[in-house]
Amino acid sequence: MSRFDVIVIGAGHAGVEAAYAAARLGCSVGLCTMSRDTVAHMPCNPAIGGTAKGHLVREIDALGGLMGRAIDATGLQFKLLNRSRGPAVWSPRAQADKRLYAAWVREAIDREPNITWLVGKAGRVLVEHGRITGLAMEDGDRHDCAALIVTTGTFLNGLIHIGDEQHPAGRHGEPPSRELADSIKSFGFETGRLKTGTPPRLHRESIDFDGAVRAGAFAEECGDAVPVPFSFDTTEAPRNQIRCWLLHTTDRVREIVRANLARSPLYNGRIQGIGPRYCPSLEDKIMRFPDRERHQIYLEPEGLDVDEIYVNGFSMSLPRAVQEALVRALPGLEQASMIRPGYAVEYDFVQPTELKSTLQTQRIDGLFFAGQINGTSGYEEAAAQGLVAGINAARAIRDEAPFTLARDEAYIGILVDDLVTRGCLEPYRMFTSRAEHRLLLRIDNADLRLTPLGREAGLVDDRRWTRFAARRARHERNQRTLDTTRAGVLLRRPGIRLRDLLDRGELALDLEPSSGDLEVATLENDVKYAGYLKQETLRAQRLRKQERRRIPDDFAFARVPGLSREAVQRLSQVRPETLGQASRIPGMTPAAVAVLGVFLDRPLTPLTPPAPLTPPASN
Amino acid sequence: MFATDDSIVAIATPPGRGGIGVVRISGAGARGIAGVMLARPALEPRRATYTRVRVDEVVATYFPAPHSYTGEDVIEISAHGSPVVLRAIVQQAIDAGARLAEPGEFTLRAFLNGTRDLIQAEAVGDLIAAATPLQARVAFDQLDGTLTRRIRDIDAELFEVITRLEASLDFPDEGYHFIEPAETARCIGAVVGSVDALLAEARRGRMIREGATVVIAGRTNVGKSSVFNVLAGSDRAIVTPVPGTTRDLLTEQVDVDGLALTVVDTAGWRATTDLVEREGVARANQARGVADLVLLVLDQSEPLTPEDGQLLQDTASHTRLIVANKCDLPGRLKSAPTTGTVMEAGAVVGATSVVGTTSVAGATSVVRTTSVVGADFSRPISVSAKTGAGFDDLRRAIVCALTGGESLKDSVAISNTRHVALLVDARESLLSAQRAADAGATPEEFVLTDLQAARARFDDLVGTRTSEDVLRHIFERFCIGK
Ligand SMILES: Cc1cc2nc3c(=O)[nH]c(=O)nc-3n(C[C@H](O)[C@H](O)[C@H](O)COP(=O)(O)OP(=O)(O)OC[C@H]3O[C@@H](n4cnc5c(N)ncnc54)[C@H](O)[C@@H]3O)c2cc1C
Ligand SMILES: Nc1nc2c(ncn2[C@@H]2O[C@H](COP(=O)(O)OP(=O)(O)O)[C@@H](O)[C@H]2O)c(=O)[nH]1
Ligand SMILES: [Mg+2]
Repeated sequence: MSRFDVIVIGAGHAGVEAAYAAARLGCSVGLCTMSRDTVAHMPCNPAIGGTAKGHLVREIDALGGLMGRAIDATGLQFKLLNRSRGPAVWSPRAQADKRLYAAWVREAIDREPNITWLVGKAGRVLVEHGRITGLAMEDGDRHDCAALIVTTGTFLNGLIHIGDEQHPAGRHGEPPSRELADSIKSFGFETGRLKTGTPPRLHRESIDFDGAVRAGAFAEECGDAVPVPFSFDTTEAPRNQIRCWLLHTTDRVREIVRANLARSPLYNGRIQGIGPRYCPSLEDKIMRFPDRERHQIYLEPEGLDVDEIYVNGFSMSLPRAVQEALVRALPGLEQASMIRPGYAVEYDFVQPTELKSTLQTQRIDGLFFAGQINGTSGYEEAAAQGLVAGINAARAIRDEAPFTLARDEAYIGILVDDLVTRGCLEPYRMFTSRAEHRLLLRIDNADLRLTPLGREAGLVDDRRWTRFAARRARHERNQRTLDTTRAGVLLRRPGIRLRDLLDRGELALDLEPSSGDLEVATLENDVKYAGYLKQETLRAQRLRKQERRRIPDDFAFARVPGLSREAVQRLSQVRPETLGQASRIPGMTPAAVAVLGVFLDRPLTPLTPPAPLTPPASN
Repeated sequence: MFATDDSIVAIATPPGRGGIGVVRISGAGARGIAGVMLARPALEPRRATYTRVRVDEVVATYFPAPHSYTGEDVIEISAHGSPVVLRAIVQQAIDAGARLAEPGEFTLRAFLNGTRDLIQAEAVGDLIAAATPLQARVAFDQLDGTLTRRIRDIDAELFEVITRLEASLDFPDEGYHFIEPAETARCIGAVVGSVDALLAEARRGRMIREGATVVIAGRTNVGKSSVFNVLAGSDRAIVTPVPGTTRDLLTEQVDVDGLALTVVDTAGWRATTDLVEREGVARANQARGVADLVLLVLDQSEPLTPEDGQLLQDTASHTRLIVANKCDLPGRLKSAPTTGTVMEAGAVVGATSVVGTTSVAGATSVVRTTSVVGADFSRPISVSAKTGAGFDDLRRAIVCALTGGESLKDSVAISNTRHVALLVDARESLLSAQRAADAGATPEEFVLTDLQAARARFDDLVGTRTSEDVLRHIFERFCIGK
């Protein structure tokens, strides 16, 4: 029996950010995990970042989180996606050494004096009078806390499928959480069932990579010549240490999948959970897109000296023998042997419409959910939520104002807003197209956007703040130089590149060498697309007023005349905090939003007193 | 006003005495209220039932939700069209629990209940306000969803491009080519084309919806007032042989081939010392300034005077028609040495009318009306206000000059200035996107911001995204019971 300000259940990507943030804000934190060997574990692809996800990592980093620094320190191959496109959609992605990554994060947590490991299985959430009081472990231990953050990923009633085999598990080799699932459900949260999957892993030694490259079966994939780090704090450019390989599925793969479809739990009705559309299993790829002749497959080492090769794009839940046959049907993998088959996992999630923008539940004070439990998928989405929940748990304990980010401030803001207003019908993943003001939310300005907010929240230490202040001053100086010199005017012309001007010595700027030319690109784009950026800024400002019109916490939607019963029900459930949020709730008609807007400034005439909400049963 | 949990009642037919009048009740309680009021309370859905109320014998019809005008239960009671009777029926409904509807409230409810979109709701207002059959038809088409459908079609076209561009940004590693740069520009061009087609109808649509002002100008005594009277079909203007009789502006509403025209007779132009008359001349000049069309009347029984010449010059920049009046008398205009001026001035007029700029609500669109068919503005139109000769030609020429020569019989989807302004905005964004995509150097994300902006305008149009102010404005324009 011990006492903490905050307890975090789960030390996955959400859990570690939550614990770290709360600890940095001065809270005593108990970090509960079933094992210290799976801290910040990557159960699926050994990579961080990607389109929009890379943005999330940069933002987490700008706010003082862990993920960016962890991947810079342990990444093996770095790429800036969309480099040929505009700056707003550049996204960093890196292959990680999955063991080193986990070890790095565990050490970072170990170094935090405010964090105590609670190794064991969390069982019951303790609540009195609608408030969190503590956590009971399955073994009977109890811990008191003022705030509890649940980040249990795929573990709630997790069920793994491999062909006809089914076994309860949170993920490969780890037991599911049932007692905790029951405890959470007992409060009446709306829950649902989702599904995700992972591909088979192969023995590195069983593959002749160079031979396959020579035979034309594989194409080598290398990192960028000048790697761009994730963290604004990284001063030494990360190095590329591995290659990956690209290959394509064959007709034989299609035939095998079709012949064995009845044995796939995805297609024989055994799996009820809804999987991510944007990350289709091999079965889905073949069946839903029959016209596509071949699909891309990447072979990715899971670490520098690890045996596992991850077969990206080949996730499935067919029986083990079929998976083996499928692997060997791939060109260059005729001799490959499988370490572990791929599988699908079904799990419970809580509809995030149950949450406020702080990720605190509406039903229970002090109870927060973050990560995959909220219906998202992906390490980055989980980490971003962990950070938000960690900060807000600390603030809630001290009765401080919530820390929230707006949709025009950060992808993190978009992520949270989408979750709490729209809920999840399928696993949620971030995309740049979810951002209304994408041009403003770039990876290069994530620190300019967010580090001041991170500082204000108390997550950015003095050292980092000084560094940021210098970087901002440098940036502004450079902008001025471009504004006031002939070279700056020249740069507006199409075809004139800032890099060339610098190389030819026509212009001198004060640049950070480790930014991997990102700064150059930013400065160039600010000049070249100044018109667009100005327009977008104006547009965001115009929308802000309406968007941020606050709906009081106790606003009685039921008493707004003219709202349909369904609208009232939806609004009362989601409890939007702003008019903007209300407008994004699915099924809300523009008329309903307009009516709501009208009555926001008017006193509501009481009609019939609304039925009191039934208080949640406390455990 | 935004409450929909009670039942509302109002007289649905125009004020005043009529053959029949209709009282409409809408709301969840409509049936119950009718039950109290009617001698035969059991009504079959959508069946006219002969029955009685306290003061009259009536026909009542029950339209169950959601297939009614408002999307709620609606009862319509047709009674004899005496205001007294109808008011009594309304009172009876109020006694039975209904509330008197506020202006526009039935349509507001239709909108709130989702049975009509914003364009359709606006169209109801137009339909009711329609003064000419053409106005009614345009409004009806919009009510019918014609414009909504066309916008949605264009939007769908645009959405397709947007999705493909977005896909290429969010899935760069998929090995797909979602859309080639050249195709992007071409697709956007096609969307612009569709918007243009819609906008091309706007000038005509606006004329139909809002009508036009036609100002009759000319020096004194050429027969302006006489022409006015013939057009107006009445003897409103005083016609005298004494120059300077018309000192003030006279206006008359006239339906010319379906166009609602406000025809304005002005004081003739002459250097005058008479105070009142001078004021009249000043007003005449002012009226010309706001005119959609100027009819410059000349007296063809006399040679051109310097005043005629001056007026020809003054009105040259206007859309105008030259009317050679008094063709019943021997013509002396032709033989006059100054005829050339008329022809020249006319040629200029022709040019300015073909390429018109429609200016709406502050938004100037650069819509080129399609070439004017069969309209020759340079030739004076011979008429006689005395015999009525030539007036058919004149009317045709007026309509032609105002509508850009297109047949008014063709359907017009767009007429409302709010719609035009939004479309013009959308078009600007699309053009900007097209330029960027065409040059190929601008990354997709920038092209996309413009495309999204255009899409937001379409949303505004159909009303899927609109501020409550716009809504209020729209609903305030309605009168009770509609
Ligand atoms: C098989 C599989 C395939 C996936 N495929 C993809 C994919 O294709 N694309 C994608 O974007 N994402 C994928 N993911 C998702 C990604 O791994 C997660 O979204 C992300 O790791 C979630 O982070 P989290 O912090 O929410 O939870 P996790 O990282 O899952 O962490 C949960 C933690 O909670 C702990 N825990 C659970 N219950 C208890 C308890 N009762 N007591 C104590 N500790 C507990 C666990 O030990 C674990 O440490 C996949 C995940 C799995 C398992
Ligand atoms: N013969 C003839 N006389 C006309 C005609 N139109 C007008 N008049 C006469 O011309 C005079 C002036 O007409 P009026 O309409 O008052 O001219 P205004 O001063 O331009 O308004 C009157 O005596 C009219 O009767 C026409 O078409 N033929
Ligand atoms: Mg007159």
